[in-house]
Amino acid sequence: MDETVAEFFKRIILKIPMTEMMTILKTWGFLSENQLQTVNLRQRKESLVQDLVLLCEEKRASLNDAALLDIVYTQFHRHQKVWDVFRMSKEPGEDSDLFDMEQFKSSFKKILQRALKNVTVSFRDAEENAVWIRIAWGTQYRKPNQYKPTYVVYYSQTPYAFTSSSRLRSNIPLLGQTFETHNSTTPLQERSLGLDINMDSRIIHENRIEKERVQRVTEETFGHYPQPRLEFAQYKLETKFKSDLNGGILAEREEPLRCLIKFSSPNLLEALKSLAPAGIADAPLSPLLTCIPNKGMNYFKIRDK
Amino acid sequence: MDSCDTPESTPRQSASSRLKDYFIGATPLQKRLESVRRQTSFVPTPPRRKIPQCSQLQEDVDPQKVAFLLHKQWTLYSLTPLYKFSYTNLKEYSKLLSAFIAAEKQKGRAVEVGEDFDIKVIFSTLLGMKGTQRDPEAFLVQILSKSQLPSENREGKVLWTGWFCCIFGDSLLETVSEDFTCLPLFLANGAETNTALIGTWFQKTFDCYFSPLAINAYNLSWMAAMWTACKMDHYMATTEFLWSVPCSPQSLDISYAVHPEDAKALWDSVHTTPGEVTQEEVDLFMDCLYSHFHRHFKIHLSATRLVRVSTSVASAHTDGKIKILCHKYLIGVLAYLTELAIFQIE
Repeated sequence: MDETVAEFFKRIILKIPMTEMMTILKTWGFLSENQLQTVNLRQRKESLVQDLVLLCEEKRASLNDAALLDIVYTQFHRHQKVWDVFRMSKEPGEDSDLFDMEQFKSSFKKILQRALKNVTVSFRDAEENAVWIRIAWGTQYRKPNQYKPTYVVYYSQTPYAFTSSSRLRSNIPLLGQTFETHNSTTPLQERSLGLDINMDSRIIHENRIEKERVQRVTEETFGHYPQPRLEFAQYKLETKFKSDLNGGILAEREEPLRCLIKFSSPNLLEALKSLAPAGIADAPLSPLLTCIPNKGMNYFKIRDK
Repeated sequence: MDSCDTPESTPRQSASSRLKDYFIGATPLQKRLESVRRQTSFVPTPPRRKIPQCSQLQEDVDPQKVAFLLHKQWTLYSLTPLYKFSYTNLKEYSKLLSAFIAAEKQKGRAVEVGEDFDIKVIFSTLLGMKGTQRDPEAFLVQILSKSQLPSENREGKVLWTGWFCCIFGDSLLETVSEDFTCLPLFLANGAETNTALIGTWFQKTFDCYFSPLAINAYNLSWMAAMWTACKMDHYMATTEFLWSVPCSPQSLDISYAVHPEDAKALWDSVHTTPGEVTQEEVDLFMDCLYSHFHRHFKIHLSATRLVRVSTSVASAHTDGKIKILCHKYLIGVLAYLTELAIFQIE
């Protein structure tokens, strides 16, 4: 292993508090279970660091592996950094494109590498469609400085990106460019309805028009992107029973039916979105359900007007 | 309509008229046999069932003695008739089963959590748990930790309970010879490993076969309607239904609870035939619930899978789990389950 890389490892590991050591190493996932078991956490930190660096060397850790460890450390200590927020604005008339994470990463890296020959770019995916990007900056003549990296956290389903404030302020516009260029170079993809009628001309969809209408209405209601994660919604109904088909049932009853309805799912809104296309619900779905994201409520009391 | 105010039907009533009380019209088995004889295709006529009457237990049963059967979750199995089973040998069976379990534990097959205490197996009869005189006596098997004295009224450390019964099992009883004892309904509470052990011993000893008894949506709807139809002095629980929606990629559960008085009002409005429940009424009852739901949410519950129903009388889950909450209708609930068990055996 390169001396600079070894030194880099040493400095990162020294930063990690002993109480977090195992958690961070496990999250990093580079050293194997067996290797981690051989580590003696009770010794002095300097000796521990030496042992760990040796283990990394055994496994031929690269600069990129070190960068990933640095990202993991920073993820655990994100609150120690000051972040700037950038919001991307869309030009009017621009279509919302389907986002491809891999393509984004690749073009991001390319743009930076084209602009500055010496730059280390590393990515680590995180929850909720977010990606953490670590950039170590160099210049035409100097190798990247691994000890003053910039972090960018981009939530791909939103127009927001967070950057850790960097002393190298000159690089911010360059980052901005990476997003701009990415967005405009992504080719417009045709909206697919999932009906591949060209598959076999002998197979036709009976209710093609209705299916398309349902699909369209569902998308209008719920949008293209993944739904916010919600697990539960509850409705307390106190409404009279009314039925056109079963006329006469409870016709004389003044009192309402007291009902309590609970919906639960690992991802409720996604489940509701799939109901109409599956034929289990009508499209458009009831506003009682579709109003959840707008109103930001999931407990309701419904009474007759 | 319901006759809780009238005196209980006495045991002196003949078995056949009591049977007639329960089943109006032929049972599915009888119909099938009939159609096979006539060599016509089997077209099921919609069944009708009598609404469970309150407390059909025979007079000599102490309600306290069956109280331990209530408020417990039982896993249901159907059981084929037992060959050469004798009620006079219960003590012998206790010893044999204890020995069997001990042997299996030695072999390491009985996985028991906790200390390695000795266990004791007790067979006892459950008097009065039958529909007609023809029904065989129900019996109970319990695994207790040995340190406790076995006593019916004492709350000993019961590790596992299983009981065998037959409520209005005439259709099955008619088909078997005298060497067989028909107790088609088996209910178990306790660790599954114990259930498997007990089951293995019974299967070897009496040449019978246990099979898990699932309850499909059709029968769950019937149960919901019938139990809603039962007259209750006061309600202990809401009337609740649980549906599982087969949408992908995420599962969705919909729980629909109705105030029991409102559920009863709905049922009363739907119900027309005195003393009985018909298929049309069950369908209409469920339809009303579906349409009320659809009016608000635009979701067709009928396109989803009914998984659980719960009322003040009892609750049942499609996986074959039951909890009986009301002593008055214990026999009524068991009668329906016996019917399902017999249907599965055939």
